[in-house]
Amino acid sequence: MAHNMKIKAKLKGDVVNVKVLAKHDMLTYDQAKKKGKEANFITHITAKVGDKIVYDVSTSQFWSKNPQFKFKFKGGKKGEKLDITWRDLSGKTVTESKKIK
Amino acid sequence: MNRRKFLGLGILAMAAIPATLSAIASIDFRATKPDAWKAKTVDAAVKALFGDIKPEDKGIKVKAPKVASNGGAVPVSIKSDLPLKTVAVFQNMDPESAVAVFNVPEDGIVDYFLKIKLKATDANGGNGVVTVIGEGKDGKFYKGTMSLQVAKGGCEG
Repeated sequence: MAHNMKIKAKLKGDVVNVKVLAKHDMLTYDQAKKKGKEANFITHITAKVGDKIVYDVSTSQFWSKNPQFKFKFKGGKKGEKLDITWRDLSGKTVTESKKIK
Repeated sequence: MNRRKFLGLGILAMAAIPATLSAIASIDFRATKPDAWKAKTVDAAVKALFGDIKPEDKGIKVKAPKVASNGGAVPVSIKSDLPLKTVAVFQNMDPESAVAVFNVPEDGIVDYFLKIKLKATDANGGNGVVTVIGEGKDGKFYKGTMSLQVAKGGCEG
Protein backbone atom coordinates (compact mmCIF):
# COMPACT_ATOMS: atom_id res chain seq x y z
CA MET A 1 0.00 0.00 0.00
CA ALA A 2 1.40 3.29 -0.99
CA HIS A 3 1.33 6.64 0.79
CA ASN A 4 2.56 5.40 4.16
CA MET A 5 5.83 7.16 3.48
CA LYS A 6 7.19 10.00 1.41
CA ILE A 7 10.72 9.23 0.33
CA LYS A 8 13.32 11.35 -1.42
CA ALA A 9 16.68 9.85 -2.33
CA LYS A 10 19.18 11.95 -4.21
CA LEU A 11 22.74 11.19 -5.22
CA LYS A 12 25.22 14.04 -4.61
CA GLY A 13 28.81 13.18 -5.41
CA ASP A 14 29.19 9.67 -4.00
CA VAL A 15 26.69 10.14 -1.20
CA VAL A 16 22.98 9.43 -1.33
CA ASN A 17 20.91 11.88 0.72
CA VAL A 18 17.65 10.42 1.95
CA LYS A 19 14.65 12.26 3.40
CA VAL A 20 11.66 10.39 4.72
CA LEU A 21 8.28 11.37 6.09
CA ALA A 22 6.48 8.37 7.56
CA LYS A 23 2.77 8.52 8.27
CA HIS A 24 2.15 7.24 11.78
CA ASP A 25 0.28 8.52 14.84
CA MET A 26 3.17 7.53 17.15
CA LEU A 27 0.78 7.30 20.09
CA THR A 28 2.76 7.22 23.35
CA TYR A 29 1.62 5.25 26.40
CA ASP A 30 0.52 8.50 28.10
CA GLN A 31 -1.36 9.80 25.07
CA ALA A 32 -3.02 6.42 24.55
CA LYS A 33 -4.19 6.30 28.18
CA LYS A 34 -5.87 9.70 27.85
CA LYS A 35 -7.57 8.74 24.62
CA GLY A 36 -8.54 5.27 25.81
CA LYS A 37 -6.59 3.68 22.97
CA GLU A 38 -3.72 1.25 22.70
CA ALA A 39 -0.27 2.79 22.46
CA ASN A 40 1.27 2.26 19.07
CA PHE A 41 4.43 3.65 17.54
CA ILE A 42 7.14 2.71 15.09
CA THR A 43 9.70 0.49 16.80
CA HIS A 44 12.17 -0.16 14.00
CA ILE A 45 13.19 1.33 10.66
CA THR A 46 15.49 -0.31 8.14
CA ALA A 47 16.58 0.94 4.70
CA LYS A 48 18.20 -1.32 2.12
CA VAL A 49 19.62 -1.15 -1.36
CA GLY A 50 19.34 -4.70 -2.67
CA ASP A 51 20.21 -6.80 0.38
CA LYS A 52 22.66 -4.24 1.77
CA ILE A 53 21.49 -2.39 4.86
CA VAL A 54 22.18 1.35 4.67
CA TYR A 55 20.15 2.55 7.70
CA ASP A 56 19.01 0.59 10.72
CA VAL A 57 17.46 2.10 13.83
CA SER A 58 15.43 0.91 16.80
CA THR A 59 12.97 3.65 17.77
CA SER A 60 10.85 4.72 20.74
CA GLN A 61 7.50 6.39 21.36
CA PHE A 62 9.25 9.77 21.49
CA TRP A 63 9.73 10.18 17.76
CA SER A 64 7.30 12.87 16.62
CA LYS A 65 3.91 12.17 15.10
CA ASN A 66 4.38 11.44 11.38
CA PRO A 67 8.11 11.14 11.97
CA GLN A 68 10.55 12.86 9.69
CA PHE A 69 14.10 11.66 9.39
CA LYS A 70 17.15 12.02 7.19
CA PHE A 71 20.28 9.99 6.63
CA LYS A 72 23.15 9.60 4.18
CA PHE A 73 24.96 6.60 2.75
CA LYS A 74 27.69 5.76 0.29
CA GLY A 75 27.64 3.18 -2.45
CA GLY A 76 24.24 3.93 -3.98
CA LYS A 77 23.83 4.51 -7.71
CA LYS A 78 21.29 6.46 -9.73
CA GLY A 79 18.29 4.34 -10.66
CA GLU A 80 18.85 1.81 -7.88
CA LYS A 81 15.92 1.06 -5.66
CA LEU A 82 15.96 2.09 -2.00
CA ASP A 83 13.59 0.03 0.16
CA ILE A 84 12.47 1.44 3.49
CA THR A 85 10.66 -0.74 5.99
CA TRP A 86 9.13 0.20 9.32
CA ARG A 87 7.57 -2.00 11.94
CA ASP A 88 5.30 -0.78 14.73
CA LEU A 89 4.32 -2.02 18.17
CA SER A 90 1.19 -3.71 16.83
CA GLY A 91 3.41 -5.81 14.58
CA LYS A 92 2.39 -4.08 11.37
CA THR A 93 5.16 -3.87 8.77
CA VAL A 94 5.22 -1.46 5.85
CA THR A 95 7.79 -1.34 3.05
CA GLU A 96 7.96 1.33 0.38
CA SER A 97 10.53 1.94 -2.32
CA LYS A 98 12.00 4.83 -4.22
CA LYS A 99 14.51 5.01 -7.04
CA ILE A 100 17.67 6.97 -6.29
CA LYS A 101 17.74 10.16 -8.36
CA MET B 1 -12.13 -35.47 24.13
CA ASN B 2 -10.66 -32.24 22.80
CA ARG B 3 -7.93 -32.38 20.26
CA ARG B 4 -4.76 -30.70 21.38
CA LYS B 5 -2.65 -28.51 19.19
CA PHE B 6 1.09 -28.47 19.36
CA LEU B 7 3.40 -25.80 18.01
CA GLY B 8 6.07 -26.99 15.67
CA LEU B 9 9.43 -25.99 17.10
CA GLY B 10 10.95 -26.39 13.67
CA ILE B 11 9.43 -23.11 12.50
CA LEU B 12 11.14 -21.18 15.29
CA ALA B 13 14.51 -22.72 14.48
CA MET B 14 14.17 -21.70 10.84
CA ALA B 15 13.41 -18.09 11.74
CA ALA B 16 16.70 -17.78 13.59
CA ILE B 17 18.77 -18.34 10.45
CA PRO B 18 19.70 -15.04 8.74
CA ALA B 19 18.36 -14.71 5.23
CA THR B 20 21.53 -13.49 3.58
CA LEU B 21 25.18 -12.94 4.34
CA SER B 22 25.07 -9.19 3.83
CA ALA B 23 27.73 -6.97 5.43
CA ILE B 24 25.73 -6.37 8.57
CA ALA B 25 22.46 -7.68 9.88
CA SER B 26 19.67 -5.58 11.27
CA ILE B 27 19.80 -5.31 15.06
CA ASP B 28 16.60 -4.90 17.03
CA PHE B 29 17.81 -3.20 20.21
CA ARG B 30 14.30 -3.28 21.63
CA ALA B 31 14.53 -7.07 21.63
CA THR B 32 18.21 -7.40 22.63
CA LYS B 33 18.19 -4.67 25.32
CA PRO B 34 14.59 -4.38 26.54
CA ASP B 35 15.52 -2.67 29.83
CA ALA B 36 17.17 0.27 28.06
CA TRP B 37 13.75 1.36 26.76
CA LYS B 38 12.06 1.25 30.17
CA ALA B 39 14.76 3.20 32.02
CA LYS B 40 13.54 6.51 33.44
CA THR B 41 16.90 8.28 33.64
CA VAL B 42 19.59 8.76 31.00
CA ASP B 43 22.21 7.11 33.23
CA ALA B 44 20.06 4.03 33.77
CA ALA B 45 19.25 3.78 30.06
CA VAL B 46 22.93 4.09 29.08
CA LYS B 47 23.86 1.43 31.62
CA ALA B 48 21.16 -0.95 30.40
CA LEU B 49 22.29 -0.50 26.81
CA PHE B 50 26.08 -0.35 27.05
CA GLY B 51 26.96 -1.38 30.60
CA ASP B 52 29.15 0.60 32.99
CA ILE B 53 30.90 2.92 30.54
CA LYS B 54 32.83 6.16 30.81
CA PRO B 55 32.37 7.94 27.50
CA GLU B 56 34.79 10.62 26.34
CA ASP B 57 33.14 13.97 25.86
CA LYS B 58 34.14 14.48 22.22
CA GLY B 59 33.65 13.45 18.63
CA ILE B 60 29.88 13.69 18.45
CA LYS B 61 27.98 16.81 17.45
CA VAL B 62 24.38 17.20 18.53
CA LYS B 63 22.31 20.05 17.17
CA ALA B 64 18.88 21.17 18.29
CA PRO B 65 17.18 24.54 18.72
CA LYS B 66 18.12 26.26 22.01
CA VAL B 67 14.47 27.02 22.57
CA ALA B 68 12.06 24.63 20.92
CA SER B 69 8.66 26.25 20.45
CA ASN B 70 6.87 23.02 19.67
CA GLY B 71 7.79 20.02 21.81
CA GLY B 72 5.78 17.78 19.53
CA ALA B 73 8.49 17.82 16.89
CA VAL B 74 11.92 19.01 18.00
CA PRO B 75 14.49 18.69 15.20
CA VAL B 76 17.71 16.97 16.27
CA SER B 77 20.82 16.41 14.13
CA ILE B 78 23.64 14.06 15.03
CA LYS B 79 27.00 14.05 13.28
CA SER B 80 30.26 12.25 13.83
CA ASP B 81 33.36 11.48 11.77
CA LEU B 82 34.41 8.69 14.14
CA PRO B 83 34.12 5.07 13.00
CA LEU B 84 31.13 4.14 15.13
CA LYS B 85 29.08 1.00 15.23
CA THR B 86 26.26 2.15 17.50
CA VAL B 87 24.73 5.58 18.12
CA ALA B 88 22.16 5.98 20.89
CA VAL B 89 19.96 9.03 21.57
CA PHE B 90 18.55 9.85 25.01
CA GLN B 91 16.81 12.79 26.70
CA ASN B 92 15.86 13.69 30.28
CA MET B 93 12.41 15.21 29.76
CA ASP B 94 10.06 12.39 28.83
CA PRO B 95 8.84 9.59 31.13
CA GLU B 96 11.43 7.21 29.63
CA SER B 97 14.83 8.25 28.34
CA ALA B 98 15.63 6.25 25.21
CA VAL B 99 14.70 7.78 21.86
CA ALA B 100 16.65 5.86 19.26
CA VAL B 101 19.49 3.39 18.86
CA PHE B 102 21.17 3.40 15.46
CA ASN B 103 23.02 0.34 14.25
CA VAL B 104 25.58 1.99 11.94
CA PRO B 105 26.15 -0.02 8.74
CA GLU B 106 29.63 -0.98 7.50
CA ASP B 107 31.37 2.27 6.38
CA GLY B 108 28.14 4.07 7.23
CA ILE B 109 27.93 7.84 7.54
CA VAL B 110 26.89 9.16 10.93
CA ASP B 111 24.81 12.13 9.84
CA TYR B 112 21.31 11.65 11.17
CA PHE B 113 18.32 13.91 11.50
CA LEU B 114 15.12 13.11 13.32
CA LYS B 115 12.23 14.88 15.02
CA ILE B 116 11.38 13.98 18.58
CA LYS B 117 8.73 14.65 21.19
CA LEU B 118 9.83 16.41 24.37
CA LYS B 119 7.92 17.51 27.43
CA ALA B 120 8.01 21.19 28.33
CA THR B 121 11.09 21.90 30.41
CA ASP B 122 9.43 24.18 32.96
CA ALA B 123 7.51 21.16 34.21
CA ASN B 124 10.78 19.60 35.40
CA GLY B 125 12.65 22.79 36.12
CA GLY B 126 15.88 23.70 34.39
CA ASN B 127 17.10 22.77 30.99
CA GLY B 128 16.45 19.66 29.05
CA VAL B 129 19.39 17.75 27.67
CA VAL B 130 19.64 15.52 24.63
CA THR B 131 22.49 13.05 25.12
CA VAL B 132 24.03 11.03 22.31
CA ILE B 133 26.41 8.14 23.03
CA GLY B 134 28.48 6.57 20.28
CA GLU B 135 30.13 3.19 20.53
CA GLY B 136 33.28 3.11 18.41
CA LYS B 137 34.49 0.14 16.43
CA ASP B 138 37.56 0.44 18.68
CA GLY B 139 35.37 -0.37 21.69
CA LYS B 140 35.60 3.16 23.10
CA PHE B 141 32.61 5.31 23.93
CA TYR B 142 32.00 8.92 22.97
CA LYS B 143 29.42 11.43 24.06
CA GLY B 144 27.79 14.59 22.73
CA THR B 145 25.10 16.67 24.41
CA MET B 146 22.84 19.61 23.65
CA SER B 147 20.84 21.46 26.25
CA LEU B 148 17.64 23.15 25.29
CA GLN B 149 14.39 24.50 26.58
CA VAL B 150 11.01 23.40 25.39
CA ALA B 151 8.31 26.06 25.51
CA LYS B 152 5.31 23.86 24.80
CA GLY B 153 5.38 20.16 25.58
CA GLY B 154 4.71 17.55 22.98
CA CYS B 155 4.18 14.56 25.15
CA GLU B 156 0.88 15.45 26.77
CA GLY B 157 -1.06 14.91 23.57
